[in-house]
This record gives sequence, structure tokens and C-alpha cells, in this order.
Amino acid sequence: MYAALLSNRYLTSRLIPFIAIGAVGLCVALVVTVVSVMTGFLDMLKASGRTIVGDVIVSSGLGGIPYSDELLATIRANPDVQGATPLIDTIGLLRMPYPAGPQKEVSHVQVWAVDPASLATVTDYAKDLYWRPPATEAAAAAMTPEDPRRSLKPAVLTDGETLVQSSTGRPGITLGMHVSVGNSRQRDGSYLPRYGWFMPGHDVTLTVVPVSGQGKIAEPREQIFPIVNEVQTGIYEVDRNRIYIPLTEGQRLLRLDEAPLYDLSAEPDAAGNYPIIGTTPARITKVLVRAKPGVSADDLKKSIGSIYADFAERIAKDPTRTARASSIVNILTWEEQLRDLITPVEKEREMMRVLFSLIYLVCAGLILSIFWAIVVEKTRDIGILRAIGASRLGVMWIFLRYGLVIGVVGSGLGVALAWMIIRNINAIHLAIGSDAPSGMWIGGYVAAGLCLIGLVRALWRQRLLSVLLWLLGTLVLALAATLLLFHKGTLIWDPSVYYFTIIPDQVDWTTAWTTAVGGILFSVIGAAIPASKAADIDPVEALHYG
Amino acid sequence: MAEPTSGARTILEARSVRRTYAFGTIGVPVLLGADLVVAEGEWLAILGSSGSGKSTLLHLLGGLDRPDPDGGEVRFAGQRVAFGRGGALDTYRNRDIGFVFQFYHLLPELTVLENALLPSLVGAWGPLGQERRKAGRALALSLLAEFGLSHRLTHRPAQLSGGERQRVAIARALVNSPRVLLADEPTGNLDTHTGAGILDLLAARHAAGLTLVMVTHDPEVARRASRVVRLDDGRIVADR
Repeated sequence: MYAALLSNRYLTSRLIPFIAIGAVGLCVALVVTVVSVMTGFLDMLKASGRTIVGDVIVSSGLGGIPYSDELLATIRANPDVQGATPLIDTIGLLRMPYPAGPQKEVSHVQVWAVDPASLATVTDYAKDLYWRPPATEAAAAAMTPEDPRRSLKPAVLTDGETLVQSSTGRPGITLGMHVSVGNSRQRDGSYLPRYGWFMPGHDVTLTVVPVSGQGKIAEPREQIFPIVNEVQTGIYEVDRNRIYIPLTEGQRLLRLDEAPLYDLSAEPDAAGNYPIIGTTPARITKVLVRAKPGVSADDLKKSIGSIYADFAERIAKDPTRTARASSIVNILTWEEQLRDLITPVEKEREMMRVLFSLIYLVCAGLILSIFWAIVVEKTRDIGILRAIGASRLGVMWIFLRYGLVIGVVGSGLGVALAWMIIRNINAIHLAIGSDAPSGMWIGGYVAAGLCLIGLVRALWRQRLLSVLLWLLGTLVLALAATLLLFHKGTLIWDPSVYYFTIIPDQVDWTTAWTTAVGGILFSVIGAAIPASKAADIDPVEALHYG
Repeated sequence: MAEPTSGARTILEARSVRRTYAFGTIGVPVLLGADLVVAEGEWLAILGSSGSGKSTLLHLLGGLDRPDPDGGEVRFAGQRVAFGRGGALDTYRNRDIGFVFQFYHLLPELTVLENALLPSLVGAWGPLGQERRKAGRALALSLLAEFGLSHRLTHRPAQLSGGERQRVAIARALVNSPRVLLADEPTGNLDTHTGAGILDLLAARHAAGLTLVMVTHDPEVARRASRVVRLDDGRIVADR
């Protein structure tokens, strides 16, 4: 009873416990915010990775995989498979429609030649198409007047889904959202055309270099495609580099399509053509496979490996086939495929967790020093308590309880602060990235001016502490106002460095609770040493103290 | 041995108690084998000059300090005070003894009422503790009213005069209804008039049956007691 009474009185009768609470809160908030963002980043990376490449990826060499329809049919027949899609993955150059005039900008891009219908069963391609008309009138009303989506026709979405420009029947192309410089990201995450370039409807020229099975480079080939839509996966590296074209166009451009097979050992005819003895099948370079819910990527990888081995053996044994499926292919899960992205982030997160957890020691040290000072100050009180029969453990409990309250309140406030920061981290980031509103720096100078009046008043009264405090207030506020005046926006989370275009804004509650418990534990540990000292104080000496 | 002449029952007894304080490697003897018997209901004054060992003797009697090893013993109601057992010693200080100090020693963060009832909160756990707390609160209010402090219940010690603070300290010492009140220079920090008021208050409690052991250096104050022992250089040299 008396311990509770005294703890509460010691806590509420002075400023220093509130400083300790603030320090614990800031330590906890820092750890929770950093680790939550890193964890969210990792989760987003993993989640996005799976929705971009499926669960298992079969990759061949430059020769490609022939008879892919047969392979895909076998894979799709597997009960563990939800979907499978063929793919050609290569690099190319994209001649953009801008700027005006004959000199156009050229970007290097990652070309994905895809079958959009089956791609949608394996990845979130269809969901990631950005330009789509508003679903409802309310959604349209929520958009800004200059948002081009307000006036879009449904065809823009279906054209993107089929990679065909429906108005002309031409094969279309979709670009990652950041391939073009014409898209300007807004505060709310939407995009507006920049420099007047709204990309859908414009033509771009794609140039690719076919490579033979022997690794020889052929003449580059190019094709003009109309842009039918743009894709936002959320991973900046993908959105910055990737374009999508129809599979058949990719096969044709890269000479991976079905072609006549000539007998080069025979005599050519009068026109110089060799006799045709068959056809070589069209080829693809990758197969993306999506597992059914509940099937792990590792299990699916084993099944696909077995299916591919049977397929390659079957092709090899069939004398009627004009091409062979290489027995050497890479079969990887999505995590293995994206290991280069995931592993460094995992390591960074653990490093951050360890480094920032050292703050606990600072926290414990702070509590220890504050409590040590309080115990010294309260030595006579401790003697009085011992004189009226308080036990050593009872005296110890007063200070442990005190530390516990500081730990609990500080950790609770820290988690709450972290929650507020994380939930609003994108808004905060945008605010930091924008010019400071004039009201803020004007307000800062006004507040500094008021502090200056206080300073003059304190000088008049010759109060040294007041002079110092008012002077500090004036200088800090004037400095803050000046910084705000010259603040022209600082981009901290650069999407070209961090893969995502938005910052993860979900609290990692496991980290939050463990950090809060750590904060409480270290507060109690920090309080335990002064509390033990208090318990060991000789009552007679304590009564004579001071 | 200093003994009462009334023949009343012994409540508190010091037998050949010695106490030496260590200052580094130097031992300074303060009590050199003091023998003292306090009868129940007695008002005993321990008179002595500064450094004579009177406060040390009081602390030993109250269980705040302990004698040297093999340095005698203190008995309360015939039982040896167990200096080695923390729990028993704490209970002894809390229930059997009340302390009043020269400098009041009130806790500055607590109100007058909270200071007064503080001993009743010590060790007051569970349903029995609740009864104790209730009784303590009632007694604290009653004592503070008796001492003329009803209007000061929510005040802090810093807002009180010296005499008022000492009255709060006496109320605190009495709140657990101890059998013996130990007072260390209770008027030493007060002016004569206020000091006299405090002595009147103690006299009233003594008249109601409380055993009082009071340390003072002032013969005028000691004269209020029913019995005076004189301590000099760690030894009791006179008893009247």
C-alpha cells in the first residue's frame, strides 16, 4: 500500500520521471518503427515477388523450350497447379514517343513476351494494370479533376488484358509505370501525366536482338507497338524496367517462332531454296507456375522438376520430333529466384534489430542514473520508512515499482507513437519531400518573436535561468523557422534505391510487443540497482542524511 | 543497572549494550555497556550532553540500530529483540514502538493525513490489512483532531509550522498504538513555548498510559519526566 502511494507521489511530484518516460518511449518507438518498416518492406517484397513471378519458375537457356504447349498442358494437369504460363524474357531498347521532334529518348527495358490470359492465372498482371476507368461514380468523384482515369473507356483495360489495341487490332504493349517519364506520382499514390504525356495511345518502337541456340547474335529486329496500358506492380525495379508484349510477337521478333526446317545437305532448287523437310516448333524461355492454395512452392518445385524430366525424355525418345528439350533447365521457387533481393533485406532487418536494440542499454542506463539520483535525494525518506517498520524489500519495491510504471507507461507511449508514425509514414514522407507551407515558417518566426519578448522580460528581471531558457527557445524556434523557410523538399525514401514506391505502413506487432516487454524489462533492471542500494541503506545513517 | 523504583512491569530493557562505530579502520565506541530498565507506563528521560550516546541508546532500544556482536541485548516485554531477523525487527518497529525525531522527518510528498497514517499502511495486506488500514485511518483522524490539525489534513509538511510538524510526527508515531514511544529531542528544534506545548501533549499521552522514553540534552525538558537517567561517555552515570 505504502509502496504504491509513494511510487505514485514520487512519480507525479517531479519532472524527471516524465523525462525518463519520454526517453523509454522514444527508444521503443525508434525500434518498433525501424523494424516494422523493414519487416513490412520484406513482406511486401515477398508478397509482390510471388504475385509477379508465381511460385515456381522454369528457365531454359538461349535455345528455349520447344513444344511448350505440351509441357504446359502436362503442368496444368497436375493437381497441385493452379496455373502455368509461357514466357520469353529478354532485354531490348524502347524508343519513346517523347520528346517532340526527331530525336527521341531510348530506354533499355526488360521485355516479357507473354500470353496475357494465362499470365493472369499465375501473376497479378491483370490486377496491376493501372489505367482503368473508375468502377463507380463515387470513385470518379474522389479523383482529382485532372486525373485522366475519369475519362477512360473500358477498352483501355481490356486492351491491356489482351495486349491488343481493340480500335486497330494491332498487337499492343504495356509499360511498367516508371518506364516512361510521363507519369508523375501524386501525394495520394495516383499518377498524373507529366509534360503532357499520357502514354496509352502513343506508339513506341521496340528493338530486340535475336540470339540463336548456338549463341550467335542475329540482325536486331524492331517493331512499333501502340501503348495500350501501364502496369504498377509496386516494386520499383520492375516498374522501372519491364514491358509486356504478346508472346507471338516476342517469338517472331526473337526468331523463336515456328519455322520451316530446311535440308541443308540437299541441293537447293533453281531459286536457291533448300527443300523443306519439316518445321521447327515455337519456343519459349520460361514457364511460370502458380501453386494451388495450401501447396508449398518447394513441393511444387519437386513436382515440376519431375514433370519436366519426363517431358524432356519423352521428346528425346520421339524420332518424329524436330527439336530437343534441353535436359538442363533451372527450376527455382520464387524465393530462390528473388534471393538477390530478399536476402540483403533480411540481413539488413536483423542488423537494424540488433543495432537498435542496443538502445535498451541506453534506456536502462538512463533509468539507473535518474533513479540513483532519486535514491540519493530520498535517503532520509528511506530512513524514515525503515524507522516506521518498512522492510528492505518494501523499500526496494517502491523503486522497482517506480521503474515498472516508467517502463510500462514509456513502452506503451512508445508503441502508440510508433503506430502513429508508421500508419502515417507515407504522409510524413510526402510532407518532408515537399516545400514547407509558408504558414509554418511564419508561425515559427512569430513564436521566436514571442520568446524574444520573454527574453527581454527575463533580462529586465535579472533571472538567469529564465534568460537562458528564453534565449534557447528564441534560438531554436528561429533556427527551425529558417530551416523551414529554406526547406525545399527532401526525398528520403528514394524509389530508385528502395524497390517499392510506397513505404510499408503496417506495425509489426510481434516486434512491438517484444520491444515493449524489453523496454519494461530494462527499465526494471535499470531501477533494480538503485532500488537495491535503497534497501541496503542503514536507517540510522539515512536519518542523519542531509 | 538503572531500574525503576515503582515496581511496575518491565516493558523495555537494555542489558550491557555496547555500540562501536567504525570510521575506516578506526573504531569509535559510543556505548560502553549501558544497562537500563524501563517500566510500563513510565516517562523516562535520558539526559546527556552531545556525543554522550543517548541517541544511539534510543536507536538500539527502538531496533533502528543493533548492538556490537556480543555487545549485550535489548528486551521488549521480556522477549529478546531479534536484531538478526529482518521481518521480526520490522514488525517490532512498526507495531511495538513509535518514533518521534528532533527534525520531525515527515515525508514531503505526502499530506498531513497520509504522513500520519503511513505506519498503518506498512505490511497491511489482504482483508486483515484492510481492517488495519481502516482502523489506522480512524485513529489518525482522531489524533490529528486531538492535536488541533483537522484543518490541515490535506496540507503538505512544507506548509506547516515546526510545532505543527512535530504534532503530525507524534500522530504518526501513535497511529499503530505502540506500547512505547521513543522521542529523540522532540523539542530540540522548537522555541520554548512551542516545545512546552509538545511536552504537554506527550504528558497527556503518558497520563493515558503510554510508556515514554525521551532523549534530551536540556535538564528543563528532562524535568517533565517521571524518571531521569544521565548518560555520560557511553555509560549511565545517574538514575533518579
